[in-house]
Amino acid sequence: MLALGFLLTGAVGGIWYYGSPKYTDVGYRPEQPVPYSHKLHVGDLGMDCRYCHTTVERSAKANIPPTATCMNCHTLVRPTSEALAPIRASFAENKPMEWIRVHDLPDFAYFSHSSHIRVGVGCESCHGNVAQMEIVQQTEPLSMGWCLDCHRNPDQHLRPMSEITTMGWVPPDNQAEFAARVKAEKNINPPEDCSACHR
Amino acid sequence: MNDDLKPQSKDYWRSLDELADTPQFREFLHREFPKGTGEELADKNNWSRRNFLTLMGASLAMAGLASCRRPIEKIVPHVVLPEVYEPGTPIHYATSMPFGLDSYGLLVKSNDGRPTKIEGNPEHPSTIGRADIWIQAAILGLYDPDRAKNITHSGKEVAWDDFVADWSTQFTKFSANRGQGLAVMSEQFSSPTLARLKEEFMEAFPSAQFVSYEPVNDETIYDGIEAVAGARLQPLHSLHLAKVILSIDSDFVFSETGHIVDAMGFADGRRVHSQQDEMNRLYAVESAYTLTGSKADHRLALKPSQVGGFVLALARELSSQGLSIGRFDAPSANTADTGIDQKFVNVLAKDLLASKGQNVILAGRRQPAEVHSLVFALNEALGNVGQTVTYIAPLDRSESSTTGLEKLVADMKSGAVETLVVLGGNPVYTVPVEFGFADALKGVANKIQLSSHHDETSALVDWHLHQSHFLESWGDGRSLDGTVSVIQPLIDPLYASVSDVELLALVASGKIVKGYDAVRETWNSFITSDFENQWRKILHDGFVPKSAIGIITPKTNASSLAASARSLASVETGRELELVLLPSNLYDGRYANNGWLQELPEPINKFTWDNFAQFSFRTAQRLGVATGDLVKLEIAGRSINIPAWITPGQANDTIVIALGYGRKNVGSVANDVGSNAYLLTSAKNSGVASVTKIPGTHFIAQTQEHGTMGGFELGDPLQEKQKRPILRENTLSKFRENGLLFPLHPEIPTQQSIYTEPAYTSDLQWGMTIDLNACVGCGACVVACQSENNIPVVGKEQVSKGREMHWIRVDRYYSGDLDTPEIALQPVTCQHCENAPCEPVCPVGATVHDDQGLNVMIYNRCVGTRYCSNNCPYKVRRFNFFNYALEIPETVQMQKNPDVTVRSRGVMEKCTFCIQRIEVTRLKAKLETRNVGGDEVHTACQQACPTDAIVFGNIKDPNSNVARLKKSPRNYQLLEELNTKPRLTYLGLLRNPHPELEMSTES
Repeated sequence: MLALGFLLTGAVGGIWYYGSPKYTDVGYRPEQPVPYSHKLHVGDLGMDCRYCHTTVERSAKANIPPTATCMNCHTLVRPTSEALAPIRASFAENKPMEWIRVHDLPDFAYFSHSSHIRVGVGCESCHGNVAQMEIVQQTEPLSMGWCLDCHRNPDQHLRPMSEITTMGWVPPDNQAEFAARVKAEKNINPPEDCSACHR
Repeated sequence: MNDDLKPQSKDYWRSLDELADTPQFREFLHREFPKGTGEELADKNNWSRRNFLTLMGASLAMAGLASCRRPIEKIVPHVVLPEVYEPGTPIHYATSMPFGLDSYGLLVKSNDGRPTKIEGNPEHPSTIGRADIWIQAAILGLYDPDRAKNITHSGKEVAWDDFVADWSTQFTKFSANRGQGLAVMSEQFSSPTLARLKEEFMEAFPSAQFVSYEPVNDETIYDGIEAVAGARLQPLHSLHLAKVILSIDSDFVFSETGHIVDAMGFADGRRVHSQQDEMNRLYAVESAYTLTGSKADHRLALKPSQVGGFVLALARELSSQGLSIGRFDAPSANTADTGIDQKFVNVLAKDLLASKGQNVILAGRRQPAEVHSLVFALNEALGNVGQTVTYIAPLDRSESSTTGLEKLVADMKSGAVETLVVLGGNPVYTVPVEFGFADALKGVANKIQLSSHHDETSALVDWHLHQSHFLESWGDGRSLDGTVSVIQPLIDPLYASVSDVELLALVASGKIVKGYDAVRETWNSFITSDFENQWRKILHDGFVPKSAIGIITPKTNASSLAASARSLASVETGRELELVLLPSNLYDGRYANNGWLQELPEPINKFTWDNFAQFSFRTAQRLGVATGDLVKLEIAGRSINIPAWITPGQANDTIVIALGYGRKNVGSVANDVGSNAYLLTSAKNSGVASVTKIPGTHFIAQTQEHGTMGGFELGDPLQEKQKRPILRENTLSKFRENGLLFPLHPEIPTQQSIYTEPAYTSDLQWGMTIDLNACVGCGACVVACQSENNIPVVGKEQVSKGREMHWIRVDRYYSGDLDTPEIALQPVTCQHCENAPCEPVCPVGATVHDDQGLNVMIYNRCVGTRYCSNNCPYKVRRFNFFNYALEIPETVQMQKNPDVTVRSRGVMEKCTFCIQRIEVTRLKAKLETRNVGGDEVHTACQQACPTDAIVFGNIKDPNSNVARLKKSPRNYQLLEELNTKPRLTYLGLLRNPHPELEMSTES
């Protein structure tokens, strides 16, 4: 009886952990067609997220930049680099790059970037410290429970608008007061109803 | 339920089975998911349930953990991002859709470079932001997988250049001999560019023929007006100014030309919200039972041949009551012979005279020219011209011409036509059979056809070119009132096709002309200065504002009128059986391969995927025919086999058949559906048929008994049938008297509920009203919802089991007797009950209530117990019995709305009040730091409805339309006594009968 109990607990616990997005999705780090390094461009060179991911403040999707954005610099910077050959080929042949998607939600869940940027959620809160990533990896589970944790208690994750793209931001001492103020100002009411994301 | 709570209402019935209360009907009613639910797997794949489970179990065991790694999804951005494009945000483009001699102004939503939803353009006079079923369903035609995808010559695929090379030899030959032997046959069009190209063609080839023909046309209307007014004028109606409307066989709310504007005008005269409000009165005289007839306050069902006599009788009565109709003497005819109720005529005449200048008579396209002449004169005599009806001299048109067609066919048969270019359309299918078009084609040496599908004509031609859909081509159009619109493509042609503009330009000039250039060349003559900027503005707006043609005031020629009247008086009416052929949901058949329109229930009889020979109850009895029997109809030596259907209220001795069915080898949706009524056509109206019953019964899929909201106590003979006041109606006079919406309704006591409801703290509380006075039953809401919400098409067999997936349905209720019933229509969708019966019974919590008042459905949580739909008293929940998503063809996937989940097998779905539109609007308002307007969100059904019957908005905002309408005295909740507290409420139906006429239809 006892052995059966242990077995059952083990099985359930195993499925609970190994089956959850925390295990299956966190750490997902696919190899991309071009070894684009956020560490170099964002960390060392200091580019803002929004130079490439342009629609994040206005649209539901934060777009991956078109090849032309890369070529803005790379027609002059490292124009013959081997690693950048696929980018140049894409631009020359007018065929788009095919990047592998890292952060993905199931098709029945609808997420809008613009509403989160509007209230001051930082890119780092969901995507991790991208400025330290050679290859982009998923650092948060992006599960419904994880989303609800913040929706139910967003105070620690609301930033001043100037800090949205900052990497390595730590909430200051007056975070609670700041959060209360900004929630009142911007009428921040993170929905906990199913209809917010399930259409 | 004790007697005090028993509500009372008019006695409604939805089908003959229900009226007869057959055991089959009760059995059907008892089970929401009829017998056979467990055996459908056996049907589908020839597996029994046991085999299936075995197989599934085996494959699961072998799958192991191989699929634990999640599948790779790619992100594919542009190479160079277009300036206006934001991934994730749709763009709207203004364009227009040619339809007969009209041109509908549209706004089409484009997601990621492909069109996904069509709406009416709110600024455009022909659609005023609304739509109809053909506009909404047109988008499926673009993505139809059965579309012709290449050019063929004698069946072999060839290149465009091959055709151009062949045409250049033809062009040289015909240029030399002035076009002798060249003929072009096109569909009707009202388009400046096509008109210009037609002129170019006639100039280049003076001896050639250019004929336009379409089976559903308004020829007789223009012929009739021309006979008495001297010109082929276009009548335009302003029904909102009319107090009395008489429809002579004119289904002006559904299928006559200009029906969107006319339906809106008609409904505008019926919005009663207080006891002082006025309401118009509609008289309908018709043979079939049409939607216009269903809205009529007084309806007279007459055989087609008797309708002319009715108009004569009316003219006689009007002039005897003092109206001067020029120097016109209506010839006398014996009313008794023509079977017309003289009292009806008298009261109608009185009503018309009492509202001179504020009434209108409309005659439909099936009526002969003489009737139109008479109606023209009567409208003039009644002072309506310039008020409720105006006329313009239309431009840029090529009207359908049966005489032109006759000449062309004669020439084809005699070999005088060497080369025939069929510019769109399907003449072998649609030209009246007695012309012998298929045979005539044999006499033509070189046959070229441009069409969207390989159809009946394509099998007989030499060159077949695939045609561009209007959503992927350049063009222009003129609406009924003359407004000029542009057709601009939303996507490159999917299959490198050419449009009718491009082909006609090649034919007329011998040069390859792109549609874009052809249209700009035409518009160079409209736009006199600053061409590029004006052109860009027109592309933005979609049309040229204030380009309607100025109205004129024509006068009736008395002697021509007298001639028409004499001709009408001599029509023989004693024939035994007469035939009426109507445009159907498939219109004239061009939409036969459109699954949405095939599955849309026919508006009155509610059958799907089919057409029938419809009889009135008495005629069916006389002939010994019942619904579902197969009959053989013979006319002048031609015959078809077709199943029979009894339509209560149809005129006696009349057979009504819908056009557009019985097609073969066209596409997977259209093939072998229904019977081809074109085989019975003749150039002259109606015909005499003989009906013979043949053995066999027909498999019917009809929805008229689905979703019955009950009121029956089963199996208890002691209990009376309880009639729930599902549809509440009253007459205007009684409403004015006592303000009640229906005769007697006891008070519903305040009821308690054991469930807690959300706090409803949000400032946005969604609600909807549906005005039953305004609803004309057209079904635009159904197709719009299907288009917006990725609703699958299930097919005939599944519909017969009650599994159609429409989130909104239009219920049709008969009342009265079998000979002369009245019809009431009620669109039903999820009521979003505050106290929803579906929510507490879901074992997994897949349907919950949100703070804004919506009943929310979460597909991924649903396990498919179907307890929710069991508990829903309105029967509005739809279950995915099969994985319909797997069967969507690749091109049709492009139409799907990315903002709405595509559902898999085993999940329940229902109307969401367009949650995706609510969310998008809410987020947009947040980004603009403002509140959402009370009327800002439009659901898909609301946006498409031509009469504004559906109004959605924020009920917490006292200034919103929906909040105001809910205060109307006509407002009621459906099945109020169940305490579901629905957010969707109805405005009850009011009829406006004349006090001197009984409120019933007469025959």
